[in-house]
Amino acid sequence: MTEATGTEAMAQGRRDMNGYDLYFGPAHPGSGNFGVKLTVEGERILRARSDPGYLHRGFEKLMEYRTPLQNAVLSDRLCILESLNWNLVHAEAVDQLCGTEVPERAKVIRVIMAELSRIQSHIIWYGVLAKALGFDTGFKVAFGYRDYVLDLFEFVTGGRVYPAGYLCPGGVRRDFPAGTEKRIWELLRTMEKMLREFEAYDSKTIAARCQGVGVLGLDDALRLGATGPVLRGSGLAADVRRDAPYEIYDKLDFEIPTREEGDALARSIVRQREIEESIKIVRQALDRLPGETLPPVKPKLAGKIPAGEVYVRNEIARGEAAVYMRSVGESGPYRCKIRGPDLLHMIPVLEHLLTGAEVADVPAIYWSLNICPADMDR
Amino acid sequence: MAESGNTGGREELLKAVASRFTVEAPRVAPDRSVWISVAKSDLADLQAFLKREGFDHCSAISVTDWPDEDQFEITYHLWSYGRRTLVTVKTRIDRTQATVDSAIPLWGPSAAIHERELHELFGVRFEGNTDLAPLFLENWNGPPPFRKDFDWRKHVRETHYDEGDPRDRSYWDGSDGAGSA
Repeated sequence: MTEATGTEAMAQGRRDMNGYDLYFGPAHPGSGNFGVKLTVEGERILRARSDPGYLHRGFEKLMEYRTPLQNAVLSDRLCILESLNWNLVHAEAVDQLCGTEVPERAKVIRVIMAELSRIQSHIIWYGVLAKALGFDTGFKVAFGYRDYVLDLFEFVTGGRVYPAGYLCPGGVRRDFPAGTEKRIWELLRTMEKMLREFEAYDSKTIAARCQGVGVLGLDDALRLGATGPVLRGSGLAADVRRDAPYEIYDKLDFEIPTREEGDALARSIVRQREIEESIKIVRQALDRLPGETLPPVKPKLAGKIPAGEVYVRNEIARGEAAVYMRSVGESGPYRCKIRGPDLLHMIPVLEHLLTGAEVADVPAIYWSLNICPADMDR
Repeated sequence: MAESGNTGGREELLKAVASRFTVEAPRVAPDRSVWISVAKSDLADLQAFLKREGFDHCSAISVTDWPDEDQFEITYHLWSYGRRTLVTVKTRIDRTQATVDSAIPLWGPSAAIHERELHELFGVRFEGNTDLAPLFLENWNGPPPFRKDFDWRKHVRETHYDEGDPRDRSYWDGSDGAGSA
């Protein structure tokens, strides 16, 4: 048995100033509703143990008691930072079970909103990473620009953060209001201006704290279940939008940014380039938007989901999101398993990266994973 | 983009599996995913075979509760980055003796975390997984809460209902708590 350290040592009445426990979160400004217990010796982390559960709301069980349109609203809350992407995964699962043919215009709107949500989520990541690195200007600039996207969300869905199940089974809750397209074109120009601002800061501030920090090799990334920008930052060009296209992604032209280094800086570069790609995707989708108008989707009384099972995967800002939905022909799903990228990123990947790291690098490692406690705890 | 016309060897994969294992109701779904049901005794061998065939990502593990049949159904969702194919492997286990071998030897820590979650929420034991500590619930002594026979509404009413709180009364009894406090 190894010698007791930290709280164990204290319990035995020894003052052990070399090995002690340090909590990062849940009350840390950068941690979100999540903590990780670090056993440290001096500045070096010997062990890291994630402490999830602060945001567990039991969504999988709640959904068993509700109809698909009610669940569409619940699916907003799966991740506060990218609710529209989660709307889409849930809606596709129900559509597949019901065999619904979604109108082309609704598919294009889904892609536009999902990509804007991805951009918005990546902006939050940039802001919070900047804040965690002590670079407050970056935080304020990023959150300022995020509001432009939220203005559009409010205009289209009525909600800034929670779209109330805007991307719902059957299509979208209602068509774009008049003038939306013009506003999106303007928004994309604003986003490009933002990217130029980010680039001007990055060369010094972010690189200095992120280069060579939190290196995740490709073998480890696969073994630990990393997906999304974390996996792409370790060198594998995997993206559900291209590998198993949904909606209209097979008709769109976009690249999958990757980096070989696997460090926090590589993951940062991947995400910034993904904002560029998302801007490209939204432009192409706007050009493809059919002219007809969509009727609003209304709840069906006594509607049933046909018996069956599906496993639907999407690429959301943080990685692979999936829903396993099982129906036995009732009004709600019999079982709805939600697979978020963060259960893997916040427990096995984070614990692996923190072990052996320096205490001062914790915020950089933590936020380079762009983690969201909400979709981990569900 | 060129993938849409290509079945990615899914039918061939299904044939190869069927020639080695006794499978129930194998099918290739319209979204090009493959679904296979096997007996619990074949579970590890089938997954090892799939791993050799290039399935390198354990996307998720899930449990579905069938209390009327006294069974749990465990589903493994496996993805291959190379073949761009999803295989779901399903197996049924006894609900009262809910144990199954851990998939850690095949999929490593990514399977470990899903198993840890399922142990907490459904009470399934994964033999060989040494870390099944609770993830989400603190000081919980009740039954695994995601089982179908756990009625959370009843539980909340029994443990948290406060008759003196007008909001609680309005929620549980439908009576308007306003003015009566």
